[in-house]
Amino acid sequence: MIKTSQLIKRVSTAESELEILRGIDLEIKRGETAAIVGASGSGKSTLLGLLAGLDAPSSGEITLDGINIVNLDEDERAILRSEKVGFVFQNFQLLPALTALENVMLPLELAGIDDAREKSEEFLARVGLGERFHHYPRTLSGGEQQRVAIARAFASRPLILFADEPTGNLDTTTGATVVDLLFGLNQEEGTTLVLVTHDNGLADRCQRKFTMTAGHLEEAS
Amino acid sequence: MKSPLVASIRLLIRDWRGGELGVLFSALLLAVSVVVAISGFVNRLQFNLERESASFLAADLVVSSSNPIPSPWIDQASAVGLAQGETITFSSMVISAEDEMFLASVKAVGGAYPLRGALSVDKGLAQASTAIPEPGTVFLAPRLVQQLSARIGHEVYVGDATLIVAGTLLSEPDSTTGFFGYGPRLVMNAANLDETGVVQPGSRVTYRLLVAGESDDLTRFREWVEPQLVQGQRLSSVDESQPGIGATLERARGFLLLAGSLGVMLAAAAILVAARRFGERHTDQVAVMKSLGATRGTIRQLYALSLTWLGLLSIVLGSGIGWLAQSAMFNALADQLPSEITRIGFAPYITGAVTALVCIGFFAWPPLARLGGVSPLRVIRREETIADATRSVDLVLGTASLGLLMLWYSSDWKLTGALIGSIAITVGLGFLVAQTLLKGSRQVGSSAGSVWRLALAGMQRRGTSSAFQVVIFGIAIMLLLVLTAVRTSLLDQWRLQIPEGTPNHFILNVAPADESSLLTFFAERDIEVGELYPAARGRVMAVNGQPLPDWDRFEDGARQREANFTSTDMAPEGNKIVSGSWWEPGTEKSLVSLEDGFAEDIGVKVGDTLTLRIAADEFSVEVASIREVNWESMQPNFFVIFPDRLLERFPNTLFTSFYLEPNEKHRVGELLDFMPTLTIIELDVAIQEIKTIIDQVSQAIELVLLVILVAGALVLIAGVSSSVDERLHESAILRALGAGRGTLLGAVAIEFAAMGSLAGILAILGSEAAGWVLQTQMLDLQYQIQWVLWPMGVALGALIIGSLGTYACRRVVSVPPLQVLREL
Repeated sequence: MIKTSQLIKRVSTAESELEILRGIDLEIKRGETAAIVGASGSGKSTLLGLLAGLDAPSSGEITLDGINIVNLDEDERAILRSEKVGFVFQNFQLLPALTALENVMLPLELAGIDDAREKSEEFLARVGLGERFHHYPRTLSGGEQQRVAIARAFASRPLILFADEPTGNLDTTTGATVVDLLFGLNQEEGTTLVLVTHDNGLADRCQRKFTMTAGHLEEAS
Repeated sequence: MKSPLVASIRLLIRDWRGGELGVLFSALLLAVSVVVAISGFVNRLQFNLERESASFLAADLVVSSSNPIPSPWIDQASAVGLAQGETITFSSMVISAEDEMFLASVKAVGGAYPLRGALSVDKGLAQASTAIPEPGTVFLAPRLVQQLSARIGHEVYVGDATLIVAGTLLSEPDSTTGFFGYGPRLVMNAANLDETGVVQPGSRVTYRLLVAGESDDLTRFREWVEPQLVQGQRLSSVDESQPGIGATLERARGFLLLAGSLGVMLAAAAILVAARRFGERHTDQVAVMKSLGATRGTIRQLYALSLTWLGLLSIVLGSGIGWLAQSAMFNALADQLPSEITRIGFAPYITGAVTALVCIGFFAWPPLARLGGVSPLRVIRREETIADATRSVDLVLGTASLGLLMLWYSSDWKLTGALIGSIAITVGLGFLVAQTLLKGSRQVGSSAGSVWRLALAGMQRRGTSSAFQVVIFGIAIMLLLVLTAVRTSLLDQWRLQIPEGTPNHFILNVAPADESSLLTFFAERDIEVGELYPAARGRVMAVNGQPLPDWDRFEDGARQREANFTSTDMAPEGNKIVSGSWWEPGTEKSLVSLEDGFAEDIGVKVGDTLTLRIAADEFSVEVASIREVNWESMQPNFFVIFPDRLLERFPNTLFTSFYLEPNEKHRVGELLDFMPTLTIIELDVAIQEIKTIIDQVSQAIELVLLVILVAGALVLIAGVSSSVDERLHESAILRALGAGRGTLLGAVAIEFAAMGSLAGILAILGSEAAGWVLQTQMLDLQYQIQWVLWPMGVALGALIIGSLGTYACRRVVSVPPLQVLREL
């Protein structure tokens, strides 16, 4: 489902060129759940960004559902994301001007799906927010906001879901609820899940666990 | 995306609800409504003022001639669709049934006279009328009624005609045309003219053809008739016949255009600021949308369509608001304006719509267009840079488009050039000065107390965005200063044009022997009388020994010219010597000073010799100086002036002027009883009308200034609110870290006040430059550096921007920091 070979990412800073990813080889199969752990600045989020096609690598290959996304331009990658990819972010990334329901509807609308409203209502109900359709993000608690984000991620029924520190901004209890929801939906929908986290407990719930150290990735056995 | 139209409307509605659109929409609305309101108001005002000033001529255009008007001209006026009237004026003795006689200025009227303005006639028994006299009847000016003791119903004789007095003439629109039509007025119907037998070949008669109608038709008529005019025939509009009114209207028009253009610029500045902020606030939203699969094209299409809807909405709503505003402005002046109903037409709406489109295309769109380029990676990496919200290429394109818009709007490249130039100066200097000073201020700041350090460090940290704000504030303040300064010069000049106590009566034909008894007459009645000038009628016969052709020869080039000569050893006030020099008082030399137009007509320059004739005497004089005369002043002006000693040799009479309060009008009758040979020219009504027009346009200008001030305030508010989010966020963190409320609010106040004073300095530099060009090149006013504005600009800039900024950021201390951090 996801495959990279010799993935390298360099960025230029004022002083010198910095190699953030130093030749990553990775393969994750359809329906698998995988966690990437590592210290801050080790390159986890950069890798996630590349896998999701949010950024282009300096060199190397990335294949997503059989498509080499390195050869795609930004717009083609965007279309690919709208068809196959979902996201959950650490800081939720809900649009403040939109209600919970509208936030969930947004990717469906972007993908031109007809029954965006019905689907969104269904997923919001599934994350337990059936009563909060018309609430704005600022009136929701952190846990509720992340549940809206999860509903948004699953509503477009992506093949792959990327989660960047999904519990990073939440307390332990709320975090646990959100994680249960994430894995539950993942199982029901059969999605491939790739998450980046500091939380070993969360990483342990994944079938596979990778550790990122200074731009190198190793799979923990 | 399935339906971009629907999606864009949805985006717009959601942004609206989320409060994101407020500033941008207000700015667009402001642009459209200011332009519609001002151009609508100007159109209506101009129409009304032109109508009112046209009443000075009783027509839009007048052809005057010393011979009857050729009938093809009358046919041509009909052919192009103009309304017509005629007047024939001459002096004639009028005799009453009791054999009282008086020299009257007779005006025979016909056709649709008066085409503009109205006659006001008292027909006795409380009947008023505005119609011209029926054939066989006349209206008499009150003084004629008094002199002839002729009441309504009595008979009077004009030449061989016997006419019945039908009313007392209270006022007539074209009273000032034919300045030297001596004697009180008698108005008769042109149908009785032949009966009088007064008008014979060779008599001094002025025939006038009056026409009025649409300006295109008038132009066609003017173009047709002008080439056919010969010596003794003249075509005049109100601008030409009343230079005082013409220049007043011209300047008012200039000012209002300037105001409208400034309105557009202010609105553009507001839109620029608002769109920049809108773009910044939408960066995260776009990053999320792109991470969710929106392509660059989708984003651009979405925002382009949203902006289009927003533009359409603001055009429609703005036109409505503009219409209401111009109608409110017009009503505010309703007491002063004639009650003619005028519509504002389509032009202001088109101007408003084009303004909106240009502002959207060149100011609002560029920051939004770049949203398409936002990296979706921003969703996981906040530090991912945003594309510059404003690039210099946008500013250049924007300024160029604004220049074209203003040029279209004002059709005046000088005005456009002056404003665009001064904006370029403000922007250029602004970024330079702001960057330098902001750098310098941190060094000062680091040694100051912590409030100062906080403030100046904040300003420094936001370097470019602070400079941008300083420039926007600078432009807004500059435009307001320019307008205020121009308005002040304009109103001052108008006040000076006809100061209180300007002579409103002229006395001609004072015999030198009567001088002292005339002065006694005025002294006894406590009326101030002007200087007595000698006057003699004379003619220029030859230049440098070359005789000039007769004055009535119908050919081009210099001719003999007749004029009123006077003498004085002191250069008349308000005259400017343009070449040569004024003579020593008491000189015995044979010198002359000529008005510049007169000198040009007969083709002479300083040093030439003129041969002149007064009565039967011919003599030669050397041209000593050429003067520019201000014909707008209601003071006695002369074409030809000699040294005092020269004119003493010739028979002459004296003339002078005096001012009468309206309630002292009866003194004119007393004076004529006292010295029946005097000729009195009454200009009180004309001067009053000019004053009325000046008052109207002055008030209109104040109103327009008010509207522009409001627009300026909105720009300042938009500018201040553009950085509120960032400041709130920072302050919330600082508060969380334990900074006191006083410190934070103080720092915000200092920061905005510092930017305000910088903006004040820029504004003053720009406004002096623009003011110089506008006042000297466009409005023909005297330019003076307004030193008083310098400290005021800096202080007011600091005060206004400081208070607005502090007010906008009051949430820094009033809202719990956690809430601020969560909301942003």
